[in-house]
Amino acid sequence: MNTITFCRMWAQHNRWIWAGLGVVILWFILSVVTNRFSLSSMSGIVLSASFLTLVALGQMFVVATGRGNIDLSISSAITLNAYMGLITIRGDDSNLVLGLAIALLIGICVGVVNAVLVVLLRIPAIIATLATGYILATATLLANRAIPGFAVSPTLKYIATSRIGGLPVMALVVVAAVILTAYILRYTVYGRTLSAVGQSRAAARLAGVKNGRVIAAAFIISSVLASVDGLLLGAYIGGAFLEMGQPYLLQSVAAVVLGGTLIFGGSATALGTLLASILLILIVTTMQIMGLPPGTQDMIQGTVVILVLALAGREAVTRTVRKAPEGKTEDGIALKKS
Amino acid sequence: MTVVLQEGIDQTVKGPYVEPTVVVALEGISKSFGPTLANDQIDLTVHAGEVIGLVGGNGAGKSTLMRILCGGIWPTQGAIVFGDETVPFAHYDTTEAQRRGIRMVHQELSLCTNLSVAENFFLEAPQAILGRPGWRADYRALARASLDAVFPNNHIDVNAKVGHLPIGDRQMVEIARATATPGVRLIVLDEPTSSLDLERSRQLRNYVHSRSQAGLSFIFISHKLQEIIDIASQVAVLRNGRLVWRGDATDASIKHLVGLMGGDVEAIQSQSSTESDTSGKPVIRISGRFLADGQDIVLRQGEIVGLAGLEGSGQKDLLHALFSAQRAGGEVERYASAGFITGDRQKEGIFPLWNVLENISIGRIARRSWSGFVSDETEARAATKPAQQLRLDKGRFESGILELSGGNQQKVLVARTLATDSSIVLLDDPTRGVDIATKQDFYRLCEQIAQEGRTLIWHTTEDAELLAAHRVLVFANGKVVRELTGPEITEEAIVGASFAHVDRQDQDESRHKTAAALVRRLVDMAPFIGLVIVLSMMIWANPFIASIFGIDLLLLPALSLVLVTMAQMFVIGGSEIDLGVGPFASLVSVLAATLLYDTPAYGVIAILVAIAAYGCLGGLIQARKIPAIVVTLGASFIWLGVGYSLQPTPGGASPEWLSKMVNWSVDFVPTSVVLIAIVGLVAVTIDRMPIGVVLRGFGNNSSAMVQSGWSPVRFAMVRYLIAGFFAAAAGLSLTAINTASDVNSGNSFTLLSIAAVVMGGCALLGGIISPIGAVIGAVTLALIGALLGSFGVSSDFNAVMQGLILIALLALRSAVAPRGSEE
Repeated sequence: MNTITFCRMWAQHNRWIWAGLGVVILWFILSVVTNRFSLSSMSGIVLSASFLTLVALGQMFVVATGRGNIDLSISSAITLNAYMGLITIRGDDSNLVLGLAIALLIGICVGVVNAVLVVLLRIPAIIATLATGYILATATLLANRAIPGFAVSPTLKYIATSRIGGLPVMALVVVAAVILTAYILRYTVYGRTLSAVGQSRAAARLAGVKNGRVIAAAFIISSVLASVDGLLLGAYIGGAFLEMGQPYLLQSVAAVVLGGTLIFGGSATALGTLLASILLILIVTTMQIMGLPPGTQDMIQGTVVILVLALAGREAVTRTVRKAPEGKTEDGIALKKS
Repeated sequence: MTVVLQEGIDQTVKGPYVEPTVVVALEGISKSFGPTLANDQIDLTVHAGEVIGLVGGNGAGKSTLMRILCGGIWPTQGAIVFGDETVPFAHYDTTEAQRRGIRMVHQELSLCTNLSVAENFFLEAPQAILGRPGWRADYRALARASLDAVFPNNHIDVNAKVGHLPIGDRQMVEIARATATPGVRLIVLDEPTSSLDLERSRQLRNYVHSRSQAGLSFIFISHKLQEIIDIASQVAVLRNGRLVWRGDATDASIKHLVGLMGGDVEAIQSQSSTESDTSGKPVIRISGRFLADGQDIVLRQGEIVGLAGLEGSGQKDLLHALFSAQRAGGEVERYASAGFITGDRQKEGIFPLWNVLENISIGRIARRSWSGFVSDETEARAATKPAQQLRLDKGRFESGILELSGGNQQKVLVARTLATDSSIVLLDDPTRGVDIATKQDFYRLCEQIAQEGRTLIWHTTEDAELLAAHRVLVFANGKVVRELTGPEITEEAIVGASFAHVDRQDQDESRHKTAAALVRRLVDMAPFIGLVIVLSMMIWANPFIASIFGIDLLLLPALSLVLVTMAQMFVIGGSEIDLGVGPFASLVSVLAATLLYDTPAYGVIAILVAIAAYGCLGGLIQARKIPAIVVTLGASFIWLGVGYSLQPTPGGASPEWLSKMVNWSVDFVPTSVVLIAIVGLVAVTIDRMPIGVVLRGFGNNSSAMVQSGWSPVRFAMVRYLIAGFFAAAAGLSLTAINTASDVNSGNSFTLLSIAAVVMGGCALLGGIISPIGAVIGAVTLALIGALLGSFGVSSDFNAVMQGLILIALLALRSAVAPRGSEE
């Protein structure tokens, strides 16, 4: 009895466990049923999951700021940077630094614009990032006309596709990013203030947190990660196409929520996001192996997201009920400057 | 002292009498919140025609008891009896309380500010949802009559939006609305006079008196004891969750009641004898708008400064201004670091996901640089001293903050500030709802930290607490009207000064408001101005457009966007956003071009099923309280997936009857204009119907709607069903116009519809929708592509134009919106 209570408590504080269990169970079933899953096929899945994890980590920072904030511009940022990579680097590693600098610059600019819209102009994050996403979409269309060819940088290609001792290099890079993120969230001042802002803007402000800066940083982290991811993804698939960033929008949100980060903010888990990304890619790969038509795959992905949210909703309910009056106080004094 | 007088004994004194009917009886009510017992075995019987004055200190359990009575929460133990019928609490909720004639006027008003006074009256009658033409006039008359009955000579316009009324008027509306509820038998008034002036309070007293003669019962809650004694026939006193006295109002005196309530006057060591120390270093200078007369106020190190006045007279504003003040410049200047301790623990104090230590340490952490390393050991060491000062058990550092009682949570908030080296401590009613032992610890501590050299600025709603201050600033109408020091500080002086200056209207502010309203009106006109500009530019570029045929050709493609916009508008009216509305329209378009064309019966069924699924999605979002954005984003994949499975490549054909609907013509008006006008008219009609009012009410103040007995899940489904029908019509129009379908044809509509809705003047927070503006906005946005085309700009730039327009509009709106209203 006591062990059950202990396990339940432990699972409440380590919500990544569910995604981890999901990966293990699904992988086990697949290896038994199809005989086609092995450790090496797993490493392939981990490789594709790495590209998702990187954007999802960024998305997680935005989700953690609370109020249902989501960065919808990441899919456009990914696509644009895949194109920009082709244009700036032209398959020549001597241009690599320039290419990276431009990707970072785009990421920072998009993040700053999103942050200005959300923090200073107080436009809801969803709309602000949706709008910047559309602006990036036009930039992508223009970039599409300007690409010189589909040669990618050898170094990027090495990072995105090679393996060291059977382990994908990209996966190692992403694991390092996950560890760094986990450290930031758990042990740094920024991580604490981010959680505070996500739990209650009013309380965070009165505790002395500079809410605006914390939120702005989250948006910048998100678009920088999406930009770098776009560059690497372009190297991985050996080119770029207009809709390539599209699937990452829903999947990144799904990975964050499935991983145990609270959709209403305040609590984030990097490990959970990693495991949930692997789980999602595992599901997608399974559907592909089963030969499901693309339409059905879309339907299943959408259903999974809604189901996960509906089931995870209970925890959020208790919190939103308590927080409900916050947004609509008559005097609004407490919320003016958040 | 804890004698509960029996009903019967009281009544017999009055000589020959007929046993009045019992309206409702609460029996043995207990309610615990975690470790605290908010109500402890309370019996309360209300007879017809009784006016019960309910008094007790903060946290005595009054509001808990009233929430139980009104079905807001369930007690841990106890029963509620109507006549002979004991109603199980499992079946007792706000709707049931309403049905049995119990109505509460809350302290935080429960009106929908986006609706008119008359519409708010309608909300009290959930059975009238079907309505009929002219229903509004009925409620206008009802509102007029009820307001005049309670408050003669009020000049409240029943057509005015409640949000535009001053707070006192809103309170009058709220009270009048409760009295007008059909079948009402008991009205609970919670601090009803807090925003009323003396004349209106007197009118309310008269009204309560005359209605109680006619058999209506009241429970009257007030901190103003004299008022209670004047108005009530019976007085009930609560203390620490128990009913300690009930008796005739004639037997009660203020002194008696204060004694029963356990007035903590003795707890406070009066500092009045000590003259304010003028030698300390100045730490704060207040000037400008906070002062009624010129002299700047300087606050010094080591002072305890009390902020007094009627609630909401500007004390909080000053505290917040001080917190965000700069070192120099501005109306308040602060020369030292400041910490803030709020009494509103739930809303702006605690971090619910964290433990006690994390809640304390955030104050220190927030003052460090981002890359700094956070160590729980270091923080625990830093938190030890304040915890000891506060008698907060160190062993509880690891406990979740929500497991603590209100008093201990408050200690955590105090420790948070003490752990920092802030030399100014701002206190916003910190003892609200805190038990007496904690309060005493707290008063002792305040003195101690003032002696340590910190400055305390202390806003309190309990006037007795101000006796602990060296200096008291009394507020009225947002300004300091009186400064009391040393021996001048008495409760009488404070109360006298707070009331003396009430009701001087602020002229400047109202002038400022009209200017802002003018700018806002200009922004509201933006869609119309935009459309005129876009159209005239196009006609200038291509004069052919200025013909009936030209306009028709130009506007027909806009029809689908207009329909999607109407769908999105109703969703946004509920303060949600639908990211799947475009794909849903495409799905219906595919269904129309395939199933509906081949086998009409199946087609109709399939489309209806799709709309029903769409409505259920709305119910799911509401029932599980999950973010609509993510759910609808997920749903968009489902819609696309289904559409893609049905029709992988564009194709199909439009049923003949469907094409005919867009391909008829009359000579003198363009067909597309007529169709768009019809869509707008339908949306306006829905919005003007009772159902539209209810939906807007939910968008504005969902909890007030629930209190009035409306089901949120049901109306979320209704909202999404309405949106679903519009989106489905958009899908049909796509097929009719293109005479084929493409599963991706509706994708671009999602952003455009949001932009059009915003452009049209609807609030993204919900509650305010304007169909005409949104229709015009949609038409304008649909023309952007054609406009760029007629100037030879590549269609690649469509998206960037639309994105920029959306951002520009929102930025403009946020610039003219009243400060604070958006968050």
